[in-house]
Amino acid sequence: MSDKVTAKSDVVVGLILLGLAILFFALSFTLPVRRAGLSPTTFPRFVTIVMALLASGLIVQGVRKQKAATAVSEKRSADEVTRRRRYALRFVLLAVLGIGYTQLIRFLGFVVATPFMMAGTMLLFDEKKWYRIVLVAVISTTVLYGLFRIVFRVPLPRFDLW
Amino acid sequence: MAAVIDAVIFVLTPFHFLFLFIGVAGGIIVGALPGLTGSVGIILLLPFLFYVPPAVALIMLSGMFCGAIYGGSISAILISTPGTPSAAATVLDGYPLAQKGQAGKAIGVATIASTIGGIISVLCLIFIAPQLARFAVRFGPVEYFALMVFGLTVIASVSGASLIKGLLSGFFGLLIATIGMDPVMGYPRFHFGVTNLLLGFPMVSVLIGLFAVSQIFVELEGVGKPQKVFNQSMGRVLPTWKEFKGLLTVIVPSSLLGTFIGIIPGTGGAIASFMAYNEARRFSRHPEEFGTGSLAGIAAPEAANNGTTGGAMVPLLSLGIPGDVVTAVMLGALMVIGVRPGPLLFRQSPQIMNSLFVGLMFAQFLILGLGLLSVRIFPKVLKVPVRILFPIILALCFLGAFSLSNSIYDMLIAFLFGLVGYAMRKLGFGTAPVILGVILGPIAEQELGRALIMSHGNWGTLFQSPIAIFFYIISLFSVSYSLKSGLRKAKPRTTG
Repeated sequence: MSDKVTAKSDVVVGLILLGLAILFFALSFTLPVRRAGLSPTTFPRFVTIVMALLASGLIVQGVRKQKAATAVSEKRSADEVTRRRRYALRFVLLAVLGIGYTQLIRFLGFVVATPFMMAGTMLLFDEKKWYRIVLVAVISTTVLYGLFRIVFRVPLPRFDLW
Repeated sequence: MAAVIDAVIFVLTPFHFLFLFIGVAGGIIVGALPGLTGSVGIILLLPFLFYVPPAVALIMLSGMFCGAIYGGSISAILISTPGTPSAAATVLDGYPLAQKGQAGKAIGVATIASTIGGIISVLCLIFIAPQLARFAVRFGPVEYFALMVFGLTVIASVSGASLIKGLLSGFFGLLIATIGMDPVMGYPRFHFGVTNLLLGFPMVSVLIGLFAVSQIFVELEGVGKPQKVFNQSMGRVLPTWKEFKGLLTVIVPSSLLGTFIGIIPGTGGAIASFMAYNEARRFSRHPEEFGTGSLAGIAAPEAANNGTTGGAMVPLLSLGIPGDVVTAVMLGALMVIGVRPGPLLFRQSPQIMNSLFVGLMFAQFLILGLGLLSVRIFPKVLKVPVRILFPIILALCFLGAFSLSNSIYDMLIAFLFGLVGYAMRKLGFGTAPVILGVILGPIAEQELGRALIMSHGNWGTLFQSPIAIFFYIISLFSVSYSLKSGLRKAKPRTTG
């Protein structure tokens, strides 16, 4: 990332963290206050105040860096642009796959959902040979099921669509 | 003596030894594979830890720690890519020697140096940790709170490039820790009406997400790039007796230096290995050979980085504060299996500590045996395709998150924290300070609460203990040192 982009992202992240600190600080007023000893509000308030100060510092630092950074136009090659786009797509698909897996496993169960999750992840990691995808997905799921369900007796989610 | 014999018998019990072996061998593989570190290795062990006795879990984790630190040297030597940050200095001479067709000897020297470094550091651990714990057993809530404050200042040391970002990460961790029941009154805080949040975020899921799942997203960036492989001859593995004798003058002081640096919270193997490398070059009769494949240039950083393993466990086991990132993750893992490191552990569970010490010693010999016998297998390990490895790791991450409380919600949290961890890494925020905040924050709050209850709400009690004042002073020193070095780093940028 260029200095200018880093500085900009620092400002944005600083603002997000500052907002978070303010939100939690405000919410701490909904908690009960204890006269003697440590109140449930004390620690969160200390944390949020320091966090707000640090976030403000990051914002100031980011703004200063933005001003100091020379506007260097970053020209990217067509290949680089395509690579970045592909990565962005892969990132989104893996995020959807992971979240989808955690939602579907409760209905499909571990044995059914896991091979699909693994196959999808392998595809995203550019595995092209379908037989390898099937073998790895099925064998890994079987080994993990055997180890955790049979040996460790973990009650893995089961197929429960109805 | 009887306790030591009992511990030896415990470790050599086939079932227990198998777990130690899995820890060490797994650690070597994890360390050797670029992208996977000791922290990720420990996280991948989490799902297995719940089903073994705490002592076995502890020796398995320690084996993983030592194995991973050593394993990092393999990829450093063979493909010039350190498997772990601790092995960065090994590249300087290991890779040039491998390029000369002596990769086997480079790995052989790294293995021997790591083993000796490990043995020396374990001996120091055995002698120092119990003494420190015996002293710390007198600590009350005030001293503990001060100790946790000191532990939290380690955040400044593990902050990485930007101090302000590191501190923000640490306070983000502390903020996460405030969600759920408050540790003093048990009052639910910041749960936003979500029942699952009443107990806060599950620590295991946060660990898995921040360290392991985020790494999968990082690896996704490398898709399409060719994987580095080693296709040259390995040559002879063992150094000659004369070479070995010459190297001992480098290995022993480097091991002691590594152990000493390891004991200081917030340092770690990377700093120790570079310092040992520089010292070895400074005292060498042939400093010009360094950087061209010098055996001393491999032995010094390897002895030092394995020396940090025992050193880093001194504050972890005796005081309950982590010495570096890996021990911070280990602290989290131990708390999950119900072991709270600290002085009381020595008093309440001496058999666990004895087994750990003996297990750590055996782990060094396992490193020696596995390292020397597997030299010709290592190039094949590096050929494991990431497109197979990381989907399996993702499945293990999900299983690890699920196993703790058989909850699908925990799996979701692990994955979401993986996204948070990835974003943090891309934006230059370290994930290690978050973990320190999440782990030490509630302990600090609890001890503060206890101290205030015992003193009937008198805040002055926090400054009445000389030990507590000592910890506040070294905390201030730690923060000001980090601030100073942070400013020194930033100066050339702003003026230049």
